[in-house]
Amino acid sequence: MDPVLADRLQFAFTIMFHYLFPIGTMGLAPFVAAYTWKAARRRDEESARIAAFWTKIFAINFAAGVVSGIPMEFQFGTNWAAFSRSTGSVVGQPLAMEGLFAFFLESVFLGALLYRRRGLPSMFVAWAGVMVCVGAWLSGFFIVATNAWMQHPVGYRIAAGGTILLENIWLVLFSPFSYWQFAHALCGALLAGGFIVAGVGAYYLLSRRDETIGRRFVRAGTIVAFAFALIAIFPTGDRNGRIVTQYQPVKLAAEEGLFTTEREAPLAIIGMPDVARRRLIDPIFVPDILSFLSYGNYKANVNGLDAYARELWPPVELTYYAYHIMVGLGTIFAAAATIAVALLAFGRLWSARWMLWILMLLMPFPFIANEAGWVATEVGRQPWIVYGLMKTAAGGSPTVSSGETIFTLIGFAGMYFLLGVLFLYLVLREIGRGPSWSEAA
Amino acid sequence: MERGGVSIAGFIAIAFMLTMYVLLDGYDLGVAAVAPLIARSDRERAATMAGIGPFWNGNEVWLIAAAAALFALFPTAYASSFSGFYLPFMVVLWLLMFRGIALELRGHFPSEVWHQFWDAAFSGSSALLIFVFGVALGNLLRGVPLDAAGYFQGTFAFLLNPYALLVGLFALATLGVHGAAFAAMRIEGEIAARALRVVARGSWLVLILYLTVTALTLWMNAPLRASWLFAIPALSLIALAATWRSARVGRAREAFIMSSCFIATLLAASAGTIFPYLLPAFPARNRGISIFAAAPSETALACALSVTLIGIAGIAIYAPIVWRRMAGKVRVE
Ligand code: HDD
Ligand code: HEM
Ligand code: HEM
Repeated sequence: MDPVLADRLQFAFTIMFHYLFPIGTMGLAPFVAAYTWKAARRRDEESARIAAFWTKIFAINFAAGVVSGIPMEFQFGTNWAAFSRSTGSVVGQPLAMEGLFAFFLESVFLGALLYRRRGLPSMFVAWAGVMVCVGAWLSGFFIVATNAWMQHPVGYRIAAGGTILLENIWLVLFSPFSYWQFAHALCGALLAGGFIVAGVGAYYLLSRRDETIGRRFVRAGTIVAFAFALIAIFPTGDRNGRIVTQYQPVKLAAEEGLFTTEREAPLAIIGMPDVARRRLIDPIFVPDILSFLSYGNYKANVNGLDAYARELWPPVELTYYAYHIMVGLGTIFAAAATIAVALLAFGRLWSARWMLWILMLLMPFPFIANEAGWVATEVGRQPWIVYGLMKTAAGGSPTVSSGETIFTLIGFAGMYFLLGVLFLYLVLREIGRGPSWSEAA
Repeated sequence: MERGGVSIAGFIAIAFMLTMYVLLDGYDLGVAAVAPLIARSDRERAATMAGIGPFWNGNEVWLIAAAAALFALFPTAYASSFSGFYLPFMVVLWLLMFRGIALELRGHFPSEVWHQFWDAAFSGSSALLIFVFGVALGNLLRGVPLDAAGYFQGTFAFLLNPYALLVGLFALATLGVHGAAFAAMRIEGEIAARALRVVARGSWLVLILYLTVTALTLWMNAPLRASWLFAIPALSLIALAATWRSARVGRAREAFIMSSCFIATLLAASAGTIFPYLLPAFPARNRGISIFAAAPSETALACALSVTLIGIAGIAIYAPIVWRRMAGKVRVE
């Protein structure tokens, strides 16, 4: 196997596994903070139980995130040595900031949040919850800024010998790619957090136990999920689409399955790309909408894949399907959350068991949408590792063979299987026991 | 700042972060490694883990931050060493992961059989990690074979040379003592007493290994560059003696501080030995990757140094506030 292909498989596998947990961390952290805060203010039994319950689930998730995050940091050096050599002066900076500004904050305050022994003052614990949330969001920001630079390099200069050197860190941290991507990714996580809280509550209501607590969860969860399902579409999803149109038009064409350049370009809702024949199979189009979404103008000219050299196309099928899965699920989330919130507003939600079923069954899908979004972003960036500057094929480690990478990939697969099974077992057990058990522990 | 000064400041920043890592994560790794010696029952082992529970993750962040700073400041060295030592690094990663899983998940399983499994996994992987880190340090001191482009050209068999293995053992003994001193400070009763005994006896083992390793190191690097390097072994010996003495008179806190000083002097001496190389070559050191060849850009250095200083200043403000709240001894329950 081509060594770089092995590196890509390993990177994709490990990052996609890692990312499952930050979704939970970033999405549940505000709930943990809010519930801990409430428990500190109200000092009643039920609030304390709820806070303890979500803290415990958060802690299990956090541990899995930490464990799966460590290999990510090392992989740039182990598997992408050529990439690291030439871009380290830029890419290393936000990573160092993430360690010193975010991870430390998170871990120190999480230590306090979990330190249940012998009465820490409850307001102190509540503040710890807030700080954990700040740390989780900051780490998300720095890592997304890293990725955004690879999507749209700015603030650098090229030295003799081709090394890329840092010129301006502020440009790197606050490029439009960086803040729109971060805002959108954070939305994705909060939407997931909302659906998890709502789904757990729905489960209690459906099984007719812990009903007052279940209602609190469903209420809080659906409202959060509703808000962020909308913000994920507009403005953040929309703005992401526009920056892609502006800076990575090939990616946009692949995401939309647009093979030929068109004025008044239609939006393909369904259809299977046939790359050999350069067309969509069995498509359903909405006329003119793609032009509008990309440029705010129904008549705008949208470049198709045919406007670019074949070697510059990303893998079209994967990019297309991943993007459509994200957008399709995003639409479904928005619809489901709107109905749930409407039922809630009219006081009908508790008797609408079908809606509770939907809320419960929706729980895994925000994770799928988040992963799909990243696949579209990252696979769509190909063949570049740093857009327009460095090809992925040139980024690997000259001394590491594909044999070694496949060996370690198998090692990671084994490790992650173990971790995944333990994680699911522990989280499902906590949910099964429920908040009423939580105080006892 | 002129070019050389920039590189030297970068070298010091990274050496500082790694020292913090060894001092801090070193104690929780050490506690894990000596846990079988100091904690006998299930409840005692739970208390031992509770003693480091709130801290280990923050301690590990120093390693992550140091790796990122190396990436930002000396990309060439980062790339060559991480890809050159591909499999050893992966072993370290898996051990770090396994250890984290064992530590975090133990408490979630109610059964004692599971506890025994996680305890063994935790102590075993921690001890092995210390050993592997020691072997890595040994190889760094000795130098590694590099090709013309600065990539590592060697094998596992090369890395597992007797000198490096000896440094591995030395690291295990040193951090075992360090961890035991922390446990004595942090945990109450019987465990603390046993831990102090481990510190006192372990110090002798550390002394013997220290003398052997130092003699070998001096012999290998015969034309030693700076005579101030001789001042450091004197300080190390004083710190080690003070560790032993404090443990004998039952002052756990001082034993821990002194063992920290001992480790800091060792790392300073190691940094002095390899300077100005980040990765000295074997057999001819001067073909290695020096900080001047791998020099960072001034902007990158200014940025990374500011991040480091601001980050440390922030940590120095909030960490003590939080840690003070959690101070006090852990009880066996
Ligand atoms: C639950 C999660 C979720 C939902 C419902 C959506 N997205 Fe998304 N999307 C993500 C989760 C996500 C993500 C995983 O978080 C990504 C990957 C990279 C990023 O910044 O966010 C992403 C990336 C991403 C990109 C690529 C950015 C790039 O290539 O740099 C675009 C164009 C959109 N999104 C657009 C949308 C639109 C138009 C949506 C309307 C329904 C939408 N997203 C819903
Ligand atoms: C935010 C920080 C991230 C950085 C710095 C980053 C960087 C990289 C790098 C270096 C590669 C390998 C080269 C390549 O094939 O392009 C890669 C590939 C990939 N990444 Fe990311 N990534 C990040 C986030 C993510 C996330 C969160 C995901 C998904 C959950 C993801 C999914 C992928 C996938 C699927 C590939 C493989 C692409 C392919 O095989 O064509 N990335 N990324
Ligand atoms: C290549 C990309 C990535 C690298 C190198 C990386 C690195 C790491 C590391 C080393 C940790 C453990 C920190 C600790 O010990 O406390 C971690 C945890 C974390 N990462 Fe990542 N990560 C990557 C991708 C991402 C992405 C894309 C996000 C979110 C957008 C993210 C968010 C987080 C968060 C919130 C944590 C906190 C711990 C947890 O979630 O359980 N990471 N990451």
